[in-house]
Amino acid sequence: MTWEMLAVFIGSSLRLATPLLLGAVGELVSERAGVLNMSIEGMMLTAALAGAVGAWATGSPEIGLLAGLLAVLPVAALQAFLTNGLRANQIVTGLGINILVLGITTLAYREIFGARSRETIPGFDKWSPPVLGDMPVFGEAVFQQVWLVYAAIGLVLLTGFVLAHTALGVAIKACGENPRAVDKSGLSVTMIRSGAVMFTGFTAALGGVFLSIGDIHTFTEGMTNGAGYIAIVAVIFGNWRMGRTVIACLLFGAATALQFQLPAMGIEIPNALLIMAPYLLAFIAVAGLVGRQNAPPALTVPYWRA
Amino acid sequence: MSAEAPPLPATPWRSNLSRLTRLPGVFALAAVLVAFLVGLLLVVAMGVPLGKAIPAFLSGAFGSGYAISASLNRSVVFALVGLGFILANRAGLTNVGGEGQIAIGGIVATAVALYGGVDGLPLGLPFILPMLAATLAGGVWGGIAGVLRARVGTNEVISTLLLSFIAVWLLYWCVQSEHLLRQPMTTSATLPESAEIPHSTQLPLLTGSYATPVTIGLPIMIVLAILVAVVLARSGLGFRLRAVGLNPVASARAGIRVASTIVLAMFIAGALGGLAGAMMLQGEQYTLKTGFSSGYGFDGLVVGLLARGSVSGVLSAALLFAFLRSGGIAMEMSAGVPTALVMVIQGLIVIMIAGAAYWLERREASA
Amino acid sequence: MLQLEGISKRFGALAALSEVHIDFAAGEVHCLLGENGAGKSTLCNIVFGVHEADSGSMTLDGAVYRPTGPAEALGAGIAMVHQHFSLLEDMSVVDNLILGQGRGVLKRQEWAEKVRALGERFSLPLEPFARVGDLSIGERQRVEIVKCLMREPRVLILDEPTAVLLPDEIAALLAVCRRVAANGCAVILVTHKLAEIKQVADRVTVLRGGVVVTQSTEPEAEIDRLVEAMIGRDLGSLSGVASGAVGAEGAVGAFEASHTPDEAGEGAEEVVQIDGLTVRDTAGAVRLDNVTITLRRGEIVGVAGVEGNGQSELGLVLAGLLPATEGKVFVGTRELTRATPAEVTAAGVGIVPEDRHRVGSIVAMSLTDNLLLNRVERFTRFGLMRRGAMRRTAEAMIGRFDVRAAGPEVPFSSLSGGNQQKAVLARELETEGLVFLVASQPTRGLDVGAIESVYRLIREACARGVAVLLVSSELDELIGVADRIVVLYRGRAVGTLPARPENRPAIGAMMAGHAQ
Repeated sequence: MTWEMLAVFIGSSLRLATPLLLGAVGELVSERAGVLNMSIEGMMLTAALAGAVGAWATGSPEIGLLAGLLAVLPVAALQAFLTNGLRANQIVTGLGINILVLGITTLAYREIFGARSRETIPGFDKWSPPVLGDMPVFGEAVFQQVWLVYAAIGLVLLTGFVLAHTALGVAIKACGENPRAVDKSGLSVTMIRSGAVMFTGFTAALGGVFLSIGDIHTFTEGMTNGAGYIAIVAVIFGNWRMGRTVIACLLFGAATALQFQLPAMGIEIPNALLIMAPYLLAFIAVAGLVGRQNAPPALTVPYWRA
Repeated sequence: MSAEAPPLPATPWRSNLSRLTRLPGVFALAAVLVAFLVGLLLVVAMGVPLGKAIPAFLSGAFGSGYAISASLNRSVVFALVGLGFILANRAGLTNVGGEGQIAIGGIVATAVALYGGVDGLPLGLPFILPMLAATLAGGVWGGIAGVLRARVGTNEVISTLLLSFIAVWLLYWCVQSEHLLRQPMTTSATLPESAEIPHSTQLPLLTGSYATPVTIGLPIMIVLAILVAVVLARSGLGFRLRAVGLNPVASARAGIRVASTIVLAMFIAGALGGLAGAMMLQGEQYTLKTGFSSGYGFDGLVVGLLARGSVSGVLSAALLFAFLRSGGIAMEMSAGVPTALVMVIQGLIVIMIAGAAYWLERREASA
Repeated sequence: MLQLEGISKRFGALAALSEVHIDFAAGEVHCLLGENGAGKSTLCNIVFGVHEADSGSMTLDGAVYRPTGPAEALGAGIAMVHQHFSLLEDMSVVDNLILGQGRGVLKRQEWAEKVRALGERFSLPLEPFARVGDLSIGERQRVEIVKCLMREPRVLILDEPTAVLLPDEIAALLAVCRRVAANGCAVILVTHKLAEIKQVADRVTVLRGGVVVTQSTEPEAEIDRLVEAMIGRDLGSLSGVASGAVGAEGAVGAFEASHTPDEAGEGAEEVVQIDGLTVRDTAGAVRLDNVTITLRRGEIVGVAGVEGNGQSELGLVLAGLLPATEGKVFVGTRELTRATPAEVTAAGVGIVPEDRHRVGSIVAMSLTDNLLLNRVERFTRFGLMRRGAMRRTAEAMIGRFDVRAAGPEVPFSSLSGGNQQKAVLARELETEGLVFLVASQPTRGLDVGAIESVYRLIREACARGVAVLLVSSELDELIGVADRIVVLYRGRAVGTLPARPENRPAIGAMMAGHAQ
């Protein structure tokens, strides 16, 4: 492998890991608060479509981003209401929302774009940071990215700080460990958990928008194609810790990048195996084959005061 | 003293409503009706005249012997997955792995039908053996999740979901690779799918006519449904499933083998999924291709969920969804309404039922 | 300071509180006395905003006080130490205090200083950065109290705080109550132990069946009257065990041991050998350390100890729910060291688990199902349940053991605690070939009537030659019922003494770790 190929590989791994990273950051917060958000897949898909529509209609990817963020609001609010208001089964409602969103986005896409489906959609331009971007070989291949990639890195650091060093972080983690203690301390479990779900909606929206107008500048039906599930899988594989979750996302991004890289290098590994890799790795992790799992004790358990 | 507590305000309509909503059937029906209504509104919003969409839907669902037969075959698949779901659910387990169990069933049935040397066997064995093998394989696939739950404590929702993705990509791999199940590549245009399974391994049709292709899958499913109903309502296994589902620790103390009950429940659920996969392959598709399971596993999950634990609920929901899908496909073809509409309706039903379920149980508990 | 006027609360058909009037004054320790189910916890939960009263009103410093949740109660200066801790075990002491009180970016060192300062002021020492999961029960309770005191409350509620503490710790806690009250706080102490009332109460309110039956400002002088009010009976009509159960032995004078050790038991054959039993938990900590106990036919051996000293593990190992790391268990000639629960039952061992709802029964199933839970296969023919036969058997048991229920098919959850426990006992006593009964905390949470029934049933079994291992944290009960008492401390059997009232101080000392 040449240095150029390595640079391209690293750059595309980072690019492919970004939507996972964005999704997983929110999902991690939500799961630490005790809510498993299966609907992250639907949230990302919603934002991907809304972002594409917004950018296409106005010509501005920034407005597309805004549209994506706004469109996710009702989806996230619905999930928050179902899991924290009605205390419904988190997983089943999440899957239900995903089915619904897949249906609605497909209908809306056909209604809006119809025959014009091959039109290109204005998307974000790439940008490279000073100094790093000027590096030989790696500068352009690795660091020239859409700004959302850098936003994702910033978001990871910020979220990590909040979880570890603020009162809010303590309250969020407490909701996943012992919601009764949170309630008795005078904080509202419902509010914190709902906020966590809304935060997932926010980061998932960034991830979804990145998919449609950050990365490939188009929308296709069901284009998230499991990216949201892989974000959940990354959190599980990351053992509900920020550092390991980020590593999992990068690993999964690299596995996808390899699908394109390996044939170019003349190495034959079945495509299916690489696509399957995240699920397989996560399965090995949840099967307890690699160390102890530290899932938040109250994950998926609805909280009732009495 | 208790008589002095202020009486609740008398609101007869309210108590009637609560009595109604406590009947799961009535509530499910209401959810279905609301979802359909939304579906109709969407059709109108899309500018398709109802006068065109509804007849297209109806003729797709009930318009011909062929249409009805296709819907019935589809309902068999949904019902099998749904039966597995409610059986495992009785033990407190949520099997969301129907999709993967169907895929595994399809793979194994294809492998046995094509390469298992069953073609020349007598007594219907050519079509029975692939089905049995697929049932067993699906059972093992589901059983893995059961073992993990019982031994390691892994949440079966996560494990069955992951196993589903793994199985679906395994199937993709099988039909992409000539070393596995892909048909021999004769030209560059050879599709990435398996060869067609021999005629003897295809499920016999009840009427013998391809105009009404209801397979023997239907009576098999009905027998299994009765079996599941008896197991749940009357059998010692049904008692154990219920006990384990309600309180595994107390069940263990009372001498019930909790781990093996959990594994068995997941095995049966997976086996029914595997059988469903075999029936899809041997009764309808005849070749294995990418997208084989086509969301039937998730539909089956929704059916199981809608049924709220009753076999008759599974059967009615399976029929409903099967005809809904058939009608939806016809609507797309002749009225230009995307089948995605069916997904909207299904999604709404799941959300409403799941959203209300906990609330209903809560009220039942406090009543 | 805090006035309750005409508070009523119903849960379904049950009137938990009816027309309760109480005044809580600043600087006073006000004890709420009552049996389980008398409504004490409900009352506290209403004051703390967990439940809303159906009718009646509260005033705090003359202003209407109507909390809709704990947040408002805390805001109004009312804090509560709950019977069950709600702590974050995976986090540090400091983080537990920060929850709900910290804001923004944390300065954990400052919080640690506050913990140390408060600890000094009220004699509640705590290591601020210790992980709560690693603390002892007593230390965890200190965390809960410090959590409350940090808010500088005007009203401090403590719901049965002493149930889990050692004698020394109880004394320290009561001293803390006094000190907090001296600071001008109204302290509400919920208890059913008379000794505590004598030590600390300025005022006592007695609840029975959700009604205030009497109040007293001189509790020490009126103890007998208060006890009678609490149980609704004359003290003279109580058996010794039952009076022990309410802790009234001081009140009735000389303790009357109603079970004289069976002298014949001395020579009877040994039926149960527990030999060198050791249990380590998954973290490797020793929970049960080389415990050896032998029981003869017809003998009742009590196991005393403060909760968390290995009794639970002992019960679980004997029930077949927890594998022993080392040691052996023999019942008769059968080895049950690593037996499954089914094998334990088949060997003629009945188990009354300490947790009635989690381990002893399946509350969502019917009474019949629960009565026959451990022998369903005997009511199964060709894989199908024989419902008729089950019902007949259950009805017979219900009659014989006097289980009060609306019918055999009602949900177990609809039974009162006492009847639930009688049903569990009925099931275990009907174990085929019963030779050994393990009863863990069999009277916890029961009223006096039910306690008497439970001990009558256990005694009857004993008279039939069954060996009984009775695990209880109520020392007075053990002294009344058992023949001899084994004391567990930190997982070790630190001593065995005959169950006589005169041995009470010695046993108490052993429980606290002062081994002779």
